[in-house]
Amino acid sequence: MVQSILDAISLGGLYSLAALGLGLVFGVMRLVNFAHAELITIAAYTLVLTAQFPLAISLIFTVLVTVFVALLMEFSIYRRLRGVNPAIMLIASFGLSTVLQRVYELMFGALPRSAVVAPFLRGDFKIAGLSITISSVITIVLTITILLAMGYLVEKTSLGLQLRAASADFKTARLLGVRSNRLISAAFGLSGVLAACVALILVIQNPQISPYYGLNITILSLVGIVIGGIASLRGAALGGFIVGVVLSSLNTLLGNGRVYAYSWLFILVLVILLVRPGGLLSKGTELERV
Amino acid sequence: MKHGGVTKFSIQNLLGPIVILILLTHFVGGASTSLQLITQFALCLFVMVLALQVFVGNSGVLSFGHGAFALIGSYTSAILTAPVNIKDNALAMNQLWEPLVSPQVNVYVSLVISAVVGGLVAGITGSLLMRLNGLAAGIATFALLGVAYNVFFNNKKIGPGSQALPGVPWITNTWILLLLAAFTLIVVYFINISWIGRTLRATREDAMAAPALGISIFKVRLIAFTISGAIAGLAGGMYSHVAGTFQVQDYYLEFTFVTLSMLIVGGSASIWGALVGTFIITAVGQVLLMMEQDIPVFGIQVQIPLGSRAVIIALTFIVMLLWRSSGVTNGKEFRIPKLKRIS
Amino acid sequence: MALLEVTNLVAGYGKVEVISGVSFTLEQGKSIGIVGPNGVGKSTLLQAIAGGIAPKSGSIIFDGKNIGGKKPEDIVRLGLSLVPEGRQIFSGLSVKENLALGLTGRRNKKGANEAIAKMRELFPVLSTHENHQAGMLSGGQQQQLAIARALISEPKVLLLDEPSLGLAPTVITDVFERLQEIIGMGTAVVIVEQRANLVTSFAEKTIVIRDGRVQATLTPADAANSESLQRSYFGAGE
Repeated sequence: MVQSILDAISLGGLYSLAALGLGLVFGVMRLVNFAHAELITIAAYTLVLTAQFPLAISLIFTVLVTVFVALLMEFSIYRRLRGVNPAIMLIASFGLSTVLQRVYELMFGALPRSAVVAPFLRGDFKIAGLSITISSVITIVLTITILLAMGYLVEKTSLGLQLRAASADFKTARLLGVRSNRLISAAFGLSGVLAACVALILVIQNPQISPYYGLNITILSLVGIVIGGIASLRGAALGGFIVGVVLSSLNTLLGNGRVYAYSWLFILVLVILLVRPGGLLSKGTELERV
Repeated sequence: MKHGGVTKFSIQNLLGPIVILILLTHFVGGASTSLQLITQFALCLFVMVLALQVFVGNSGVLSFGHGAFALIGSYTSAILTAPVNIKDNALAMNQLWEPLVSPQVNVYVSLVISAVVGGLVAGITGSLLMRLNGLAAGIATFALLGVAYNVFFNNKKIGPGSQALPGVPWITNTWILLLLAAFTLIVVYFINISWIGRTLRATREDAMAAPALGISIFKVRLIAFTISGAIAGLAGGMYSHVAGTFQVQDYYLEFTFVTLSMLIVGGSASIWGALVGTFIITAVGQVLLMMEQDIPVFGIQVQIPLGSRAVIIALTFIVMLLWRSSGVTNGKEFRIPKLKRIS
Repeated sequence: MALLEVTNLVAGYGKVEVISGVSFTLEQGKSIGIVGPNGVGKSTLLQAIAGGIAPKSGSIIFDGKNIGGKKPEDIVRLGLSLVPEGRQIFSGLSVKENLALGLTGRRNKKGANEAIAKMRELFPVLSTHENHQAGMLSGGQQQQLAIARALISEPKVLLLDEPSLGLAPTVITDVFERLQEIIGMGTAVVIVEQRANLVTSFAEKTIVIRDGRVQATLTPADAANSESLQRSYFGAGE
């Protein structure tokens, strides 16, 4: 029971990190970046392929690679699509996602690559007679740390203020001097950092990396940001968290029916959207306008 | 997804694509056995793209859910026609729900049923989904695809689960497929020029204007979504009879992406765009496939690395979007090109 | 040399030309009004100057540099700020945060605190509400916030798009008194207004735009003469 609750919280935290990455980019350019999945995937590949090095070095390298890919996406494609109908941008990101999956397949092969990353984080320990996996605790600690750091960045720094302002009204933000290119690049860079964090946590639990590794969590987080309220980062984080917790709980509660967990989750999403089309945290109809 | 869209009947707008469809089917489909098969698949995909065109192209609301209708159409037609012994014994099918085992329906009747089922499912789900707008609608249709995939992948009472369903009777006559595609094209054309098409396009341009004119966006979108779901169901049914076997994955993300990119590359606002897009993506894919296998294309032999085909197709699509997001046809209907007089 | 010199400016959206050849000049510490019927492109003109849209042709020389076609974020750094139509404050952010955003456009990163302190002095109502959400302020307070936010970058020229829009008459007087103070401090001001009377009597000169062009130039003396004002506003014979 305790383990189930921990699992639910850690999955929720993980999904809220992925959702934040999507939400940051959505905020500044109204782009639902489907290819965020491939940022998580490349981070996971990098972690596994550099597993022979000390964890710190491997981590730094992973963050660098992921941020580079994120910036490359923005620079080569999304920059040219700014201001285009969000539906077109979504489709373009869908296409980019396919491109990268195939590129990974050509680079790393279609079969999963694996290595043991951070072996000391595996296994479980006992506390008050209860057996608890180390990874779930680590996940929760890591997630809370990253969420707090993100919270500080968004709420307390000048970059965060600019991100919030640009999410609300980019045009006016620019009139006040917010540099559009830099801010959007920063948002992509940050989403890359978050993708690397997500990948680290995922890889500790499952080090079998295939070209589609990041797809599942991204689709679910995408659903999360929509139900949370896509216009705000808090909404995104909350939505991601809810999706993670619900999915984890469904897996526990449904027993043999757990194969249908996704269906129940998606149905829940539909219900939430019908009741609150703008998401749980929305005040108006931000989503409707998009 | 901008502009375009015709409101007045024009014989060349309608006949142009039909004539070209017939010519392509005749000359390309008749060239070799392998090209015949490719043409057959392309005709199924064209019907699917028309399904997307009538809803997405007119309303501007993105739908990822049409794969679900095609999937359901495919299963409907396949289960109704596959031989009893296959349904009874093969693979995981022995868990199939009893009432589904015995039915044996004529292939063409089953196609009609798959369209009806596709339309029904679209109508029921649409009565909820069409209350949403913009991105929420897009994501919600994605959820629909997710549910359909999840259910069919795991439920062995209604299908073979994650395995392939073999033994679906073939439709080998390309002209029958052509007839179905041309029929769909005509239906879609008349919907596009009717009040349904006009109103949908009006709501796309200005979501505020329609209610002011006393039009219920919900109602007109629901009608289009239902028709579009029926066409997608038909496309799925056709596909299953051309392939002879299929599995759930065939209608998931890649299918969704390929058909949507066909629509957008051609130009989502017209049936002519749907035809051009289906042709371009199919042709590019085929040429690249031949290059991958080191087969000469029109006498020229270029080899590309195995697996690079999908990369190039998707890249072409992105470049297309960057260059012209309203598609090759710019959303215009077919017109006979005016010849310039020399003197 | 004039601080701002707009020559034969042509601007619009897409293929539509809204402004077709407007010229005017503005000296340091002076004010100019822009009036004209609804939809003649007064806002388009300001957007083109501030970089919100790219001009189709013509030149905008500001402080000796051609700023036509530059990005808005670069133009504000050169010292030209726009208070957009409808104020466009960030209603979800606090008053303090709205003001802090104004700092983004400062050329000189030093003196930020002084600049904010100065705005508090000029608009005392903002410091009383500094931790409130900007959306909770009254219309007049929001207008003051929008002006203060634009002034924090210490612009040489302040462009205002319909500052009186939606405000009660007493509040309008209040806002224009503040504007007078701002001009007194050496900032040049361009005011686009529907209320021709108000701005004609306020600004040193006022240009009337109709059919995308400057039709007349008025002085405060014309404000008293409502007949000449009307004639230039709507064109002769109407």
